[in-house]
Amino acid sequence: MMRIRLAVGLMALVALAACGSDRPKASPLGQIIGNVAKSTIGKVGSRRAGTAAAAPAPVTRADLEKFNLPILRATIKARGADAFLTVSDTKGNVVTWATTDATTFTLRDGILIQTRGLGPDLMSAQAPSLAALLTDGGTHQRIYFFLGEDDQTTRRTYDCTVSVVGKETIEVFARAHAVTRISEECVRPQGKITNDYWVEGPLIRKSRQLASGGTGFIDFERVVD
Amino acid sequence: MPHLPSRLLASLVVSAALCGGPALAEMTKSLNINGTTGLIDMPSGDAQDDAAFTFSTAFVGPISRATISFQITDRLSGSFRFQTWRDWDTLFPGDSSKFNNRSFDIRYQLLKEGRYLPSLTVGLIDFTGQSVFASEYVAATKTFGDRVKVTAGLGWGRLGSYGSIGEPFGDRPLLDGDDRGTPNVDQWFRGDAAPFAGVEVKLTDTWTFKGEYSSDAYVLEDDERGLIERDSPFNFGFEYQRGPNTRYGIYSMHGTEVGFVLHLVLDPKNRATGGVMGAAPVALKARPSRTADPDAYDGGWVVQPDAGPLLRKNLAKRLAVDGIIIENLAYTAKTVQVRIRNNRIDAGSQAIGRTARALSHVMPASVEVFEIVPVVKGIGASKVTIRRSDLEALEYAPDNANLLRQRVTITDAGPVPANAVGDDGLYPKFRWGLRPDFRMSEPLKGDLGLRLSASYDFRPGLVLSGSIYGRVVGNVDRSGNPSDSVLQPVRSDSSRYSKFGSPGLERLTLAWFARPAPDLYSRVSFGYLERMHAGISGEVLWKPVESRLALGAELNYTKQRDTDGLLGFDEYDYDVVTGHVSAYYDFGNGFLGQLDVGKYLAGDVGATISVDRVFVNGWRVGAYATVTDVSAADFGTGGFDKGVRFSIPLNWAMGTQSNNTFGTTLRSSTGDGGARLDVDGRLYNSIRDYHSGALDPEWGRVWR
Repeated sequence: MMRIRLAVGLMALVALAACGSDRPKASPLGQIIGNVAKSTIGKVGSRRAGTAAAAPAPVTRADLEKFNLPILRATIKARGADAFLTVSDTKGNVVTWATTDATTFTLRDGILIQTRGLGPDLMSAQAPSLAALLTDGGTHQRIYFFLGEDDQTTRRTYDCTVSVVGKETIEVFARAHAVTRISEECVRPQGKITNDYWVEGPLIRKSRQLASGGTGFIDFERVVD
Repeated sequence: MPHLPSRLLASLVVSAALCGGPALAEMTKSLNINGTTGLIDMPSGDAQDDAAFTFSTAFVGPISRATISFQITDRLSGSFRFQTWRDWDTLFPGDSSKFNNRSFDIRYQLLKEGRYLPSLTVGLIDFTGQSVFASEYVAATKTFGDRVKVTAGLGWGRLGSYGSIGEPFGDRPLLDGDDRGTPNVDQWFRGDAAPFAGVEVKLTDTWTFKGEYSSDAYVLEDDERGLIERDSPFNFGFEYQRGPNTRYGIYSMHGTEVGFVLHLVLDPKNRATGGVMGAAPVALKARPSRTADPDAYDGGWVVQPDAGPLLRKNLAKRLAVDGIIIENLAYTAKTVQVRIRNNRIDAGSQAIGRTARALSHVMPASVEVFEIVPVVKGIGASKVTIRRSDLEALEYAPDNANLLRQRVTITDAGPVPANAVGDDGLYPKFRWGLRPDFRMSEPLKGDLGLRLSASYDFRPGLVLSGSIYGRVVGNVDRSGNPSDSVLQPVRSDSSRYSKFGSPGLERLTLAWFARPAPDLYSRVSFGYLERMHAGISGEVLWKPVESRLALGAELNYTKQRDTDGLLGFDEYDYDVVTGHVSAYYDFGNGFLGQLDVGKYLAGDVGATISVDRVFVNGWRVGAYATVTDVSAADFGTGGFDKGVRFSIPLNWAMGTQSNNTFGTTLRSSTGDGGARLDVDGRLYNSIRDYHSGALDPEWGRVWR
């Protein structure tokens, strides 16, 4: 039922936004909801057409809160992809978030453990628990299992150290949040990566986490609780 | 598939954008106008990256070359080249104005480049042909810094024809007039040897300068045929790299000609789209805990009369999203067996994973064991048995694919359970389609036409099917001249079939596929089996699911069809019994070997050996050679039948969910020796996709 309402709402927005422009164009929200995966293609397409990708008109917090659903925003800078996600499945502390075109992101307590539909996907991961992540100076092993361009599972093992960077106030979609910034530095002989988390109480409000070698980092923002 | 080349290119552009171009810290291992690793006309000591599949076209004055090369292993590579000399009649009016030649090269990198040592490659060019282009060489290449590469080598044959330093290994014997098409072992590295050298300078990330001193005197083209003037041994020019997949070159050649080349470099190992595209799967449906809700696990539902059709309907709805069709559903309170036909997903493991997820939503909680039987050609190819609780436990576990594989069994499909719920709507089933198809006969040659096909499934495994093909445009041989082969023209009259039989009936067959016993598969096909032959064909295959080895036998009785594409047999009055025994072996790492021994269409007796390299994503590149008791002279050009074949999944290039492929077999000749019946639905490749040798390498996609 909620899903239907969301869809109807989106369609209404699409119709509104189409007014007044010469060519029918997808609504800004329609453009950004969904299509994380497709946005690369879109980018190439627009480049070929000789125009820069049009910047989406701003969506307001009110627009999103109207749906009365938890919304997570995922941004993949390297791809110019930006999407608002809704919950498609919940199993205990594991929540799967989906775009409208069925790209999914599965997070355990806000920590990314799987993606599907990005192409180079994170198939599974040995990730720290939220409690481990909140322990300043704590160490853990992190293992990523990617499905890369060769269709084979690639395993990457890191040794990670957690450090509490400090208290900050961040703005997530026009709302200020008092958070604790946590940094997870992970090393292996071939290199190192850092995942960043901005934690508000028991909730990871914002994070920047590695998805896969081919996709790179994803920025998550919990926009609507 | 008319748009394939442009769409393929488009997708390559995408991949270039995704990957940000090639890593240019290392100098490109570039190709030459002959489509092999080298300078401009000369080879180098380099090798391409493992598995590189390249397509090169070059034009130098009246000579054009089209080459397909494949880096078979990281050191070994092979090439198939189609070369045309125009103005062939310049000095001999009355000769044909064009001369064509097909040739095979093979090269092996003895040494990889080290800190001090250069890379060193030994190669044979046109090593089985009529020796028009035959040469042998050793070439060494050393990189200096990250911008300069120097190559020096020694060539024999054509590559020893200019600036010779003598005959280090003695005379080069002339080829026996009859000895055409077989490896010319007696000639190799014999006769005059001449040095060649060259330099490659990377000017920018995209532009490269190349210059070389060529040891090929172009005796044939200049002195004998007057096609070109070769005034200078020095060739030089520039190359432009566009993304990781295309490279262009323009050169000054022989002091008199301008040469152009285009290379398309594909990487079969890696998807052009960066990864497996397509929608995410639905999450598994969790069962309630047994202690909290013991009633949910009650098996009483099995006795409900409408349970079967209802479950089947619900499951079908979920699987339809992925193009999976249910052949049969059988269940008890604890076990379900679903037989599926996977029409769209290119990886069997992914189709199995999607089916298991759908079952978790549809089957009552008491069902603990999922048996998934992929059905191919109406027969069960294997049975994948998964415990539902393993799926539930591993859905979000690290390394879930490996862990699941350890708990899954893959066994013989077995018979259809007696209590199976079929679908009244599935059989009999009529299907038809009209679609364009591209038939490639050699590089740069092919026909684009329309194929009208239809099939009628009576019941699983019994199908009547046929197709009519009409050519629209193309440049394959349609001369219609009768073959001058001394053998029955079982293949060499193909130009007559192309000319008179378009549109024509390609196939009209009744085929019956069955499972006579565990590990055994059978096929009987009757009717118009292919464009040139009709009759009956029977095949049996023994292939245990976990076995690397498979054995098969085939027996056919066929008559040669009329060339008009209709139903008659009046033109040839030729019938023959052919058959083979075959052994198939999976060497691992994607290398498959096959040996066939038996009797071929022209009545000749012999053997075919073939090796294919199969990639996880479905790419396939292979080569074969057939030797029979037909003498090389009777065989006609080419001497014995050999060729290369490749198959590219469209999904690899475009990312769309599809298991269609684009591919062809390129033969060294169209001779009549060593020709096999081109019957549809041979068993080994049909069922192997669902055996562990094929499922295991791609098993990571079970959770995709």
